Parts: sequence; structure tokens; C-alpha cells
Amino acid sequence: MFRLLALFIAGSSFICAQENVPILSGGAGFLGASKGGVNSFQPVIAPVLTIPLGDKWLIESRADLRGFVSRENGTTGPYQGQFFGTLEYLQLDYNANSHVTITLGRFLTPFGLYTERLSPIWISKFQDAPLITPIGTGQAYNNGFMLRGALLSNSSYAINYAAYFSTLSTVENLGSQRGAGGRVGLFLPGARLEIGTSYRRTLQDSHSNSVGMDFSWSPYSVPLELKGEWAHSPNGYGYWIQAAYRLSQFGGDGSALGRLEPVFRMQQFVRSELVAGDSLPAHDARLPEFGLNYYLPHEVRLNASYGRAYFSQSTDVNVWEFGITYRFLFPLWPGGAR
Amino acid sequence: MKRRVLLAFVTFSLAIFAVCVGQAKSPKDQNAPPAKSSKPAPSEGEKRFRTNCGRCHNPPEDISPREARAVVRQMRVRAMLSAEDEKLILAYLAP
Repeated sequence: MFRLLALFIAGSSFICAQENVPILSGGAGFLGASKGGVNSFQPVIAPVLTIPLGDKWLIESRADLRGFVSRENGTTGPYQGQFFGTLEYLQLDYNANSHVTITLGRFLTPFGLYTERLSPIWISKFQDAPLITPIGTGQAYNNGFMLRGALLSNSSYAINYAAYFSTLSTVENLGSQRGAGGRVGLFLPGARLEIGTSYRRTLQDSHSNSVGMDFSWSPYSVPLELKGEWAHSPNGYGYWIQAAYRLSQFGGDGSALGRLEPVFRMQQFVRSELVAGDSLPAHDARLPEFGLNYYLPHEVRLNASYGRAYFSQSTDVNVWEFGITYRFLFPLWPGGAR
Repeated sequence: MKRRVLLAFVTFSLAIFAVCVGQAKSPKDQNAPPAKSSKPAPSEGEKRFRTNCGRCHNPPEDISPREARAVVRQMRVRAMLSAEDEKLILAYLAP
């Protein structure tokens, strides 16, 4: 089956001439953390495969391959490592028209901002996903079909949408929950402000609803980004708000100081009902974090952050994180103009 | 509770301060590829790039026209761009 798919992809791409060259992009990194004295290290590579097929079709996929190295007993014992491989999405897209794209396969759940837009390691300002990310996204990835696109778009405003249905899958590494939902966003280009709302109905087990609101504001006048989300589910609710300020006003993006980006994130989660395996904190938690990102030439970024995690029913801990990420992009076969 | 209020206050104070500082200086090259930021007036494609793409990530430092075609096709889906946005951004990245 996979051989047939590979042959189909390769054959189709050759037929579709040079301008539709497949590309391999993504990010690689080495991440380190110390959480309450427990040290860990993670070498990561997240390849993104993009295969255009003609003018209308596109195959895209992203995987996350990472090792996790830590001490055997948390703070003592020899270091040992584990390997994790995750297929985050593998989808076939069909651009039906200017307003509709039909997606089939495994995709990132369109709920809130983080999972779809900010989760790549070369984009996210902090190493860890916000505490509330599992709300409305399930395992962040689902199998099914989706309609998405720009419903209306002009110079004053744009309305974008994503609506999906996902099926149950218990296949290892391809897990998915049965559910339906989507997100609608209103984007004001003049202010570079977007406000969105998300909904998901889980159609298995407890048949619960999750709702969320998000915003993103990047004023033209300053290199500032403000983003935030609020999400609610029967298991709990919470928010995160993040500010990032690139110091490019001091000599430009390429100056020594202009490559620096202080970031701040505040997040909170309130547990309503304890449900095992929902990937949310077991109890109420708060986590203010401050970090510094430094953008080196050639798509390399250094990052470091400190946070203090406050838990309602356990000891508060310091969270130190550091890392280096590299963003890559190259065509899968040579030829054509650069 | 007081601490949370204080943190929220500090965050928004910093944001307002940043906006005020920025309005005083008004740089024109944010989120634009360095090689094209010296243009006297940004093209419509550059505007669309800054408006849509620059909200989430920096522009790629070096991208060939045929790489750009694939990337923009993908971003049309990811960022829910209209067909017009796709066309203009592609014209900007792969002139």
C-alpha cells in the first residue's frame, strides 16, 4: 500500500513539471530543561514534506522525531534515553476554489491558535506547549476530513474558517478521536488583529463540548506580538497570554541587539473534573514564564527561558529551559532556477 | 490574586509602552525579507506577506522561486489564504 502511494506521489510529481517541485522543510533542534531539579535533553527533528500535484492538489506531512534523555530516577541515577516518533499530519488537500480547500487524512486539530500555527519548534516562542493545549484538540491530531479557507477576504477584513469531522482510530501512532468541530476567525488586516472562536464536540465516551477564544495582534508600528487563548472543557479551563518584542528598532533585524527577542507568557489552568489521560495538569496550576530568543543568521535560533510553576496541591517548581533550533528548506530533487 | 493582577498589568503596560515607542520611530522594514526592505514603496505582495505570514514567523532567509511555489501552496492551506493572497505573495517571493 505504502509502495503504491510512494509510486503515485513520485510519478505524479514528475508529470507535474519542474514548477511543482516537492520540498523538504522543517526544523531541527536540541532542547534542554530543568524542571524542579529534574534535568532532561531532547534532540528533535521535525521534517515537513510538501508535494504539490498540479494546480489544485497538495500532499503535506509533518513528523516529530525526538529522543528524551533524563536520569533514571529523576534526579539520580545514570542518564537513559527513549525515542518518540509522531506522525503529526499527513493530508491530501484539494483547492476547490478561492474559498474552499478540502482536506482528507490526518491533520492538526483546528482549535485555537497554538496547535495549527505556533507548534513548530522553529516558530514557538517557548519550548513547551501551553497548559490548555489539550482542550479541544484531543491528542492534537485527528483523522478525518476538513473544509477550510477564507470565506470572505477584502482589504478591510477577512473571515477564515475550518470545519472538520474526525473518526475514531486506535492504531498505534495514528490515534484519533471521533468528533466534530472547527474554528472561525475574523482578521482585520489594517490592525493585524485576529479574533477567533473554536468549538469541538467529542462524539465518543462522554460526548462533551469544548469551546475556546483566541486573539492575535501584531501592530505594524512595532515588532510586537501579542497572542492569547482561553479554552473551556468539562475537565477544566484556562488561558495563556504571550507577548514577544523583537528589538529590531535598535539597528534593524540584523543588528546584534535587533536579533534579540524578549518574550513573556502567563498561563493558568483550573481543574474542574479529574480525568485520567486527558494530558491536562492534574490540579490547578499557574505558570508565568520569561524568555529570551536570539535569532542568528542562517535560520538558527537560540532560546532560553525561566518560569515558576505554581501547583495547588504540590510543591512549586522552577522551570529552566534552553535550546537551539534550526529551520531548513530545500527541494527534493535538483534542477530549475534558484 | 494580587500577583496575577500585577503580572497582567505589567504585561499590558509593556505592550502599550512598546506601541508608543514604535509609533515614535515607525520602522518600515519589520517582517520583510532583508533584501527587499529597501524598496521605497512595498508591493501589494509584500504587504500581503507582512499582513498574513509575518504574524506567525519570520520570512525565510533564502528561498528559490520553485521552493517558494511549494511553500506558498502549503501556506495557502495552513494560513487559509485566499487565491488572490496566494498569487500576490508568490509574485513577491518568486518574481
